[in-house]
Amino acid sequence: MRIPGPWRRMMLVTTVLCAWLWVDHAHSQQDLDTPGDAGEKAEFYWSRLRYTSADEYSGAGRRGFGYGYSFSGWSRDYPKADRQFLEALKRLTRIQMRSYEQVVDLDSDDIYNYPWVYAVQVANWTFTDAEAKRLREYLLKGGFLMVDDFHGTDDWERFMTGMRQVLPDRPVEDLPDNDEIFHVLYDMSDRMQIPGEQYVNTGRTYEKDGYVAKWRAIRDDKGRIIVAICHNMHLGDAWEWADMPEYPENFSSMAFRVGINYIVYGMTH
Amino acid sequence: MLEWLFKYPPTVFLHGQLVLRSAWPRWPLVLSVIAVGLALGWVMRGRRASDTSRTVRWRLPLIWLAQWTMAALILLLLWRPAIAVSELVPQANIIAVLVDDSRSMSIADHGSTRLQQAAQALQGRWFASLGRTFQTRVYRFDSSLVRLPGPDSALIANGPATHINAVLNEFASDTASVPVGAVVLLSDGGDNSGRIDRGTLEVLRQRRIPVHTVGFGAAQVPQDIEIESVALTARALAHSRVTASVDVAQSGFAGRHTSVSVRDGEKLLATRDLLLGADGATVSTELTFDLPDAGPRLLRFQVAALPGEGNARNNELARLVNVEAGPRRILYVEGEPRWEYKFIRRAEEDDAAVQLVSMLRTTENKIYRQGVKDALELADGFPTKPEDLFGFDGLIVGSVDAGYFSAAQQGLMREFVNRRGGGLLLLGGRQALADGVWSGSQLNDLLPVTLPMINGTFHREPARVSLTIAGADSPITRLVDDRAANLALWTKLPTLMDFQDPGRVKPGASELAQMQAGGRTMPLLVTENYGRGRTAVLATGGTWRWQMSLPLGDPTHAVFWHQLLHWLVADTRGQLNAQVSAGILQDDGHVQLLADVRDRNYLPATDAVVNAHLIGPERLQADVSLRAVPGIPGRYQTDWTAPAVGTYVAELTASQGALSAGRDTIAFQRQDGVAENFHTGQNVALLKSLAAETGGRYWSPDDLDGLAHAIPFSDAGVSVQKFQDLWNMPAVFLMLLLLRAAEWLLRRRWGVV
Repeated sequence: MRIPGPWRRMMLVTTVLCAWLWVDHAHSQQDLDTPGDAGEKAEFYWSRLRYTSADEYSGAGRRGFGYGYSFSGWSRDYPKADRQFLEALKRLTRIQMRSYEQVVDLDSDDIYNYPWVYAVQVANWTFTDAEAKRLREYLLKGGFLMVDDFHGTDDWERFMTGMRQVLPDRPVEDLPDNDEIFHVLYDMSDRMQIPGEQYVNTGRTYEKDGYVAKWRAIRDDKGRIIVAICHNMHLGDAWEWADMPEYPENFSSMAFRVGINYIVYGMTH
Repeated sequence: MLEWLFKYPPTVFLHGQLVLRSAWPRWPLVLSVIAVGLALGWVMRGRRASDTSRTVRWRLPLIWLAQWTMAALILLLLWRPAIAVSELVPQANIIAVLVDDSRSMSIADHGSTRLQQAAQALQGRWFASLGRTFQTRVYRFDSSLVRLPGPDSALIANGPATHINAVLNEFASDTASVPVGAVVLLSDGGDNSGRIDRGTLEVLRQRRIPVHTVGFGAAQVPQDIEIESVALTARALAHSRVTASVDVAQSGFAGRHTSVSVRDGEKLLATRDLLLGADGATVSTELTFDLPDAGPRLLRFQVAALPGEGNARNNELARLVNVEAGPRRILYVEGEPRWEYKFIRRAEEDDAAVQLVSMLRTTENKIYRQGVKDALELADGFPTKPEDLFGFDGLIVGSVDAGYFSAAQQGLMREFVNRRGGGLLLLGGRQALADGVWSGSQLNDLLPVTLPMINGTFHREPARVSLTIAGADSPITRLVDDRAANLALWTKLPTLMDFQDPGRVKPGASELAQMQAGGRTMPLLVTENYGRGRTAVLATGGTWRWQMSLPLGDPTHAVFWHQLLHWLVADTRGQLNAQVSAGILQDDGHVQLLADVRDRNYLPATDAVVNAHLIGPERLQADVSLRAVPGIPGRYQTDWTAPAVGTYVAELTASQGALSAGRDTIAFQRQDGVAENFHTGQNVALLKSLAAETGGRYWSPDDLDGLAHAIPFSDAGVSVQKFQDLWNMPAVFLMLLLLRAAEWLLRRRWGVV
C-alpha cells in the first residue's frame, strides 16, 4: 500500500516528534538510584505538588500518570532536580530530611503533613473547587508553596487563573531585594535570571516573552510569604543540570541558594 | 440550782482561791485526818478478824471510806475553808455595755432583728440590777465606738463594718483613767477581720478587765448562699487564661442548682452551673476565663441568688488582678530548622503579652535570629553574661544537645531558673532531652523528669495524647472552659507524629498530659517549680500538626502555646518585685507596700533606694519611701493608709547609685461596708474566745441574770479581796447528810456490820 505524500510527511514529522520527546523525557528522567533513606521518616520532605494540567482535562480528564509514563507538567525535571537539590540542602543546612522526594496531591488531607511544597509548570495547573479550597486552607494554616518554571505573559495569566481560584483576594507583589526571604540564610540582594537547559544551546536566559526574572510573592494577613513565585526562570533545570559541565555553575549555585532560602524561610515564618 | 447549792456564782470559783481562814496551822488538820482514818481502820480491822466471810471482806472498806470522808470533811470545816475572791467595790466602778450597731445586727433570726433582741436585753432585770450597784455606761459600736446617753437610745444597725478589735482598743484608751469593772459586749461576733489581736487582749489583761460576751443571732443563717472565698492570682499577663477557684457555702438550699459567674465591669467573662452541697458544707468550683487588657482589673464573682434568700449581698465577692501588658521576653534556642519552631513562632505572633526571641542554628556556623531588639542582641550566640540572659523572662530549649552550651552557659541557665526566677521549657527532639545528653548537664537537677540514661529515645512514630488528673485542672492545658469537654477534646487531638521518652516524673513535679505510643504510656507535659522559677518538659516536637490538621481557624494550637508560655513567664519578676499586704482593703485603709529588689545579677540589693508614687481616687497623689527590712536582704517596706474608697496604683522604683534597679506597678483597692455582708451567722467561737481570753464568760441572751451575779466578782477597776465562807454552803451539808445516809443504808442492807 502506498501512502499518499502528505500523510507520509505527517507520519515522518510525528515519528520525529515522538522520538524527540522520548529522548528528552528519558534524558531528563534518568535512572536514579533510590537513596538508602527512602523509607525513613524525617522532619523535612521535599514535596512536589501533583496537580491536574489543563491539557489533561481537555483530554481524558485524568491526572497525570507520573514519572516515566506522563508528560504532565507537575513532574517536570522530576525526580533528578529534586534529589540533586536535596543533596545540597543536606550538605549546607542542619535540616533533617529524607533524600527521597515526596509527591503530594490536593485530593486528600495528606498534604497537611507537608508544610512546604514545590510546584512547576504552573501555567497549566487547574483545580477543582475542592482542591482549590484545600490548597487555600493549607496556605492559610501555615503551608508554604514555591512555584517555578513558567515564562512570559501568557503563562502568567494562566497561572493567575488557578491562583485566583485558590486565593481570590490576595495581591501578588514584587519582592524587594531586602525582603527577609532573600536574607534568611544567604544574602541574595543581587540575583540574576536563572535560565533553563535551553541556555546551553541558545545562550538565551529567557523563554517566550519572559525577558526579566520576576521574584514575586503572595502574603498572608501577617505579611508572611505563603506563595513564593519564581516567574520567568527555571530553578528546577538549574538544580537538575548542576552536574552538566555545559550548564554555567553560577546559575546552579544561585538556584540552590534561592531554594535553600525559600525552604528556611518556609520553616521559620 | 447550782448557784443555790454552792451559794456563789461559778465566776467566784473560777477566779477565786481556796483558803483556810482558821488561825490554826494546817499540819494538825492533815494529821487529824490521817489519825481519824487510822483509828477507823483499826476498829474495822478488829471486826474483819472476827468475821472471815468473803462478803464482809470488801464491805468493810466501803463503810470505812464513808466514815472517814465524813470525818475528814467535818475536820476541814473546823479550819474554816473559804474562797478568796476579788470583788468590785459598789458604786466605784464602771460597767460598760457595748452594743453592736453594725449592719449585720439588722438580720432577723428569730422573729426579730438581732439589734431588737439586744435592745430588749438592755431592758432586762440584770441591767437594772447592775445599775443599782455600779455606774453603767452604754456604747454603740461598729467600726468605732460612740457613748450613748442610756439604754433607751435609738440604734439603727447601719454601721458598714464591725471592728471589735479596734473598738476594744478605743474603749481601753478612752477609759484609761477610769475604773472599769467589766465590759459586756452585745454582738453577733461578726467582726470583719474575724479575729482579735493579741495586742488588744494584752491591753485588757493588763487592766484585768473581763469582757463578758452576749451572743445574738443563729450560728447558721436559715436560707443563705455565700461566696466564702475566691482564689485567684494577683498578677497575670494580659489576655492570659486563668482559673479561679470559688468556694460557696449555703444553708437551706441543699441540692439546688444555681450559677457562678465572673465579670469585668459589665462584661461577662465566664459562667457555670453549680450544684449546692449539704447545709453548712462548702462546695468548690472553678471558673476559667481570659483576662482582659492590661491594667488593674476588679473582677466580680457572683452566685445567682435563689428565691427566699435573705441576704443576697454576700453572693458577690471582688478580686483585684494586676493585669500586666508585657511583653515578657522568651529566648527560644533551636538546634535545627523544624516545623515546631515555625508554628510556635506563628502561635506567639498573636500574643501581645509574650515576645519570642529566637536563635536557630540553620547551618553548622550560622544562627538565624528572630525577634531580637537590635542587630547586636544574640549576635555572638547564646548569652555568656548573667545580665544578658537575665534580661529574658523565659527560656525554651528545642532540639539542641547539651554539649552546644559551655559549662559556664549551663551554669547560667541553672541560675536563670534558680536565682532569676525564670521559666525553662525543654522540648522533645532529635538532639533533645536524653538524646541530647541533658542528663549529664548542670540542668539535670532542674528538670521535672529523670531522663533515661540511653540514646534513641526520640521516635518519629504516632502518639495519642490525653490529659492526666492534674492536667484536667491546669490552666495550661485548659483549651475549653468546660472540664469534661476539655478532657474529651484532648483525646481527639490529631495524633502527634513524633515523641520522645522523657523518663520518669520526679517527685513533686506535675504530669499534666501523657501520650500513648507503641503500647506504652509516657509523660508528655511535665511541670515543676524549682528555686524561684519553674521548669517544664514537653516531650515532642510535633504539636504543629494540631495547627495543620485541625480545621482552618481552630485555635487549639495557639491557645495551648499561649497558655504554656504564659505559665512559663507570668511569675517571672523583674529586678523590683512590688507587693501589697492585701489587694482588697476591707474597711481599713492600712496597707503595707513591699518591694523585693535585686541587682543586675539578681542578687539581693541591700543598698537600693526605693520610692513609691501612689495615685488614688479624687486625684490623690502621694510619694513615700520604703526602708530596708532588717534581716531580709533586698526587702524594703513601708506602711501607708488609703484615705478613701477606691482603686490605688502604686508605682515603685528602685535605684542603686546611678543605676536603675527596676520598677514595678501594683494596684490595690479599698472597699468599705462589703465585709459586713459576709459570715452573717453568729460567730460564737470568736465571742467565746474573747471572753475566755479576758476572764469573762460567753452568755446567752436568756441567761443574763447570771451575768449580773458574775460581774461583781472581778479584780478589775476598784476592787477588794473578800473571803466567802464555804462551810455554810448547802452543798456541804447535803454531802454530810448523803455520806451518813449512805453508810446507814449500807449497814441496814448488809446487816452484818
